[in-house]
Amino acid sequence: MRRTFTKALLASSIAIGLGLGVAGFAHAQAEVKIGVIYPLTGPGAAVGAELRSALELAVDIINNGAPGIAELPFSAGKGLPNLKGAKIKLVFADHQANPQTGATEAERLITQEKVVAIVGAYNSAVTATASQVAERAGIPFLNPESSSASLTARGFKWFFRTTPHDDLFVHNAFEFLKELEAKRGIKPGVVVTLNENGLWGTETTKLQAKLAPEYKLNLVKQVVYPAKTTQLTSEVQTLKAAAPNLVLQSSYTADAILSMKTYKELGFSPDMILANNAGFTDTDFIKTLGKDAEYVITREVWALDLASSNPLIKQVNDLFNSRYKINFTGNSSRTFTGLMVIADAINRAGSTEPEAVRKALAATDLPGSKLIMPWKGVKFDATGQNTLGQGILVQIVDGKYNTVWPFAMAAREVVWPMPKWDQRK
Amino acid sequence: MTAEILLQTLASGVLIGLIYALVAIGLTMIFGVMDIVNFAHGEFLMLGMYSAFWLFALYALDPLLTLPLTVLMLFAFGMLLYKLVIKRIVAAPMLSQIFTTFGLMILLRGVAQFLWKPDFRSIENSWVAGSVKLAGIQLGKPQLVAGVGAVVITAVIHAFLTRTRLGAALEATAADKEAAQLMGIDSHRMFSLAWGIGAACAGAAGVLLATFFPIFPEVGANFILIAFVVVNLGGFGSVTGAFWAGILVGVIEVMGGLLLGPQYKTAVVLVLFLAVLMFRPQGLMGKA
Amino acid sequence: MNTLKITAGLAIAAALLPFATSNPTHLNLAILVLMAAQLGVAWNLLGGYAGQVSLGHAAFYGIGAYTSTMLLLNFGVNPWLGMLLGGVTAAALSFVFGWSCFRLKGHYFAMATIAVAELVQIVFTNWDYAGSAVGLTIPMGQRGWGAMVFADKAPYYWLALGLLTLTLGVTIAVERSHVGYYLRAIKDEPDAARSIGIDIARYKQIALGLSAFFTALGGSLYAQKELYIDPNSVLSTGLSIKMALVSILGGVGTLFGPVVGAVVLTVIEEVTRVVFGGSGRGTDTIIYASLIVVIAVFYPNGLLGWLRARRAQRQAERAPLAQQAAR
Repeated sequence: MRRTFTKALLASSIAIGLGLGVAGFAHAQAEVKIGVIYPLTGPGAAVGAELRSALELAVDIINNGAPGIAELPFSAGKGLPNLKGAKIKLVFADHQANPQTGATEAERLITQEKVVAIVGAYNSAVTATASQVAERAGIPFLNPESSSASLTARGFKWFFRTTPHDDLFVHNAFEFLKELEAKRGIKPGVVVTLNENGLWGTETTKLQAKLAPEYKLNLVKQVVYPAKTTQLTSEVQTLKAAAPNLVLQSSYTADAILSMKTYKELGFSPDMILANNAGFTDTDFIKTLGKDAEYVITREVWALDLASSNPLIKQVNDLFNSRYKINFTGNSSRTFTGLMVIADAINRAGSTEPEAVRKALAATDLPGSKLIMPWKGVKFDATGQNTLGQGILVQIVDGKYNTVWPFAMAAREVVWPMPKWDQRK
Repeated sequence: MTAEILLQTLASGVLIGLIYALVAIGLTMIFGVMDIVNFAHGEFLMLGMYSAFWLFALYALDPLLTLPLTVLMLFAFGMLLYKLVIKRIVAAPMLSQIFTTFGLMILLRGVAQFLWKPDFRSIENSWVAGSVKLAGIQLGKPQLVAGVGAVVITAVIHAFLTRTRLGAALEATAADKEAAQLMGIDSHRMFSLAWGIGAACAGAAGVLLATFFPIFPEVGANFILIAFVVVNLGGFGSVTGAFWAGILVGVIEVMGGLLLGPQYKTAVVLVLFLAVLMFRPQGLMGKA
Repeated sequence: MNTLKITAGLAIAAALLPFATSNPTHLNLAILVLMAAQLGVAWNLLGGYAGQVSLGHAAFYGIGAYTSTMLLLNFGVNPWLGMLLGGVTAAALSFVFGWSCFRLKGHYFAMATIAVAELVQIVFTNWDYAGSAVGLTIPMGQRGWGAMVFADKAPYYWLALGLLTLTLGVTIAVERSHVGYYLRAIKDEPDAARSIGIDIARYKQIALGLSAFFTALGGSLYAQKELYIDPNSVLSTGLSIKMALVSILGGVGTLFGPVVGAVVLTVIEEVTRVVFGGSGRGTDTIIYASLIVVIAVFYPNGLLGWLRARRAQRQAERAPLAQQAAR
């Protein structure tokens, strides 16, 4: 009887011991799930695919390491150190550019997949509804790329945005014009804006109208058009009628490409086209237009030639390029950075408790040297907006994006005016 | 707003209108012969564009050269689609027909994305790159060639319908299916033919467009609404109607956009469309 | 008898669902189904019972959503009242539409509805006061039944269920009233109906007005649930197609057809996207579209219609056997 009891006691002790050991072992290899919501099908799928690649690279670096980029946080590849080396697992969801689908997916990621945080969603309208769900559920939502200013004006506690927004970006363009005139005496002349009439283009149009008089710009006309269109003849003819020197343009990829082709077809040659990212910085823009894309200046958030001041930029881009055969763009680099920021916050929190992560996010203070963005750093204000980000301006010369502003970071001088179509080789 | 700009815009409107006409001709034939509204018509356009692109990218063959091949391939595809899917819903209620073609629309877009990824493609340096100046008006060569191509193809279709026996059989089926059957004309063969020609026309429009328009899986969505408007305006079933209505819609769209603002260019077309529906529902040349 | 039992059973199950599961994702799915069903039932009033195929119903949906939201944001009107006003506005506008378009037949009417809905979308996209393309955000400050904003899913579930029940109730009432009687006549034999003096336009308008009213209520519910609306999310043609699709899949002109269709369509959509969507290859779209084509081709009377036909066939097969047994 005693022997049986002893045997039982021994057996159970071993069992408990093993169990604890296994649990401890499993705990040390625990996963931190992060939900990511992006347009993987439907309109916007082309960008979505690139953002997905950026996220996978970021997670791979954190989990498995990357040699030679010691400055980048987590590049040792041992997972999240403060969580016993827990690896990050991404749970992908497709929002198909539909706000309700984005909200549904956010709901699912939070309640079914039990993600620690959500990263997304590129399209501002989808970010609006998906972050709404996160706010109601009390889960941190990190937004790396949506630029609609109103997203941080909702008084949310759980919403954090690393990218600068449209207000700053429009300021960037106008600051550039002001400094260009001061430095080289180039006057903008007659200015016209051409923006698509969706959420982003409409907000930009309003901001431009507001800032133009402040910067003493001669804004004579604002043209808006539907992005999903079969031709841009009316738009370009309207521009021609206004005879502008400078066109400020906000277009998505298809209409950006179509507009450049129409400019050439109808012989429209302003002094300069100053574009606003999106379609003009899409990987397909230079690829499809070839030489016809030359000399366009566009606001961007990232450029390869900035590696001279921040070697991380080239190092990580090389890694990205070796895997996916394309370079980072302003979009994919911001998504990469977004994941790094949330990983950093979860790590500092040392826990996956939502409130702890939220506090850690609010206390984020990453210096620019640890980022692959040309920013001063990442630090959120009370509305969840990163105040240390900034845009840059690049000009397409020789089939590449060259940084031309801020002048301190410029890789080359601005070519202004653009050569006319019939004067190009 | 100088006279030059107005004239220039008018010219551009006619050229894009001719493309609309070519797309609509296929659509109106399908409707005329078998009373089915083909929501997937924009996808025939998309497939034509991709066909031109891949033949150019893989074999360095200019789209104008491969146009006949693409037309043949789309013709076969249209007939295949009829045989596999459409044949089964010829007698079904209108709603079922609408949703079958609607489902096909999504299916074809999904397959295109699956096969060719959502990236944007373009055909550079085709034979027709550049612009010309005609009578003081600047016109893009791709657009001009596309317009001429549309006229030629429309003429061919018209000749086919009015001067060949097969064409007459098609028209007979469109006018009265049962009577035509009594005369020995096999309806199913005619339907199949209509689908083939419809797809081929849209495919041809796609090839012509591909010389200047970006190519991506969802591109059909940009054109389908306008195609419906043109078909209605011209009169369901009338090829000549679709031709003139296409030009009219193209001109009104660009002129309306120029005079009222580009954000309203579609609205102008839609208002015109509703007005015609109100006062002359059979369209310009449709049967009353 | 069996149908009644099944219906009662389902109704009880639906009423008890939020108590059985507190999983927000499942509840959310159920809410999506209920909302899609309600819109389908509302559409069915015009499309199924009156036989007028509208492919532009999103116009009413959007007008409902925008009316209640704009009244709330600009004048502080309570969403419950705003919802009703949205319904009334949509119904009023439907009069204009019906008066001008009802004499159009079949395809022409359908095209006209698409054109009108697209126009409404263009108007809202360019109308600054309505937020244009930027959209309108409803603040989350006040919560509870008074404000119709909730942190949990369960209250939205009740709202959606209640709205669906109401819409179904109105449909039953119409079906059994003389309006329903006339509508059936108009749909099946319009010339005969006209010859005995039925004012066709009037009854079609009644169906359209009711349909518009309830569709608009659904729009307001969407606005209060997602707390953000823009022209793309409440006025797109894709939405109009879905509202009709739900009825067609389930069975046009039947009471529960749209409900069945909503269940099938929503479940297919969500499951394909969740299981296949993450890959980004578009397999979920292909599966979803294939299923639509298959159902549209092989079940022209919808799933409910097919079920009924099968049951009738079985009964017909059983009848001679029963007669034999009786001898």
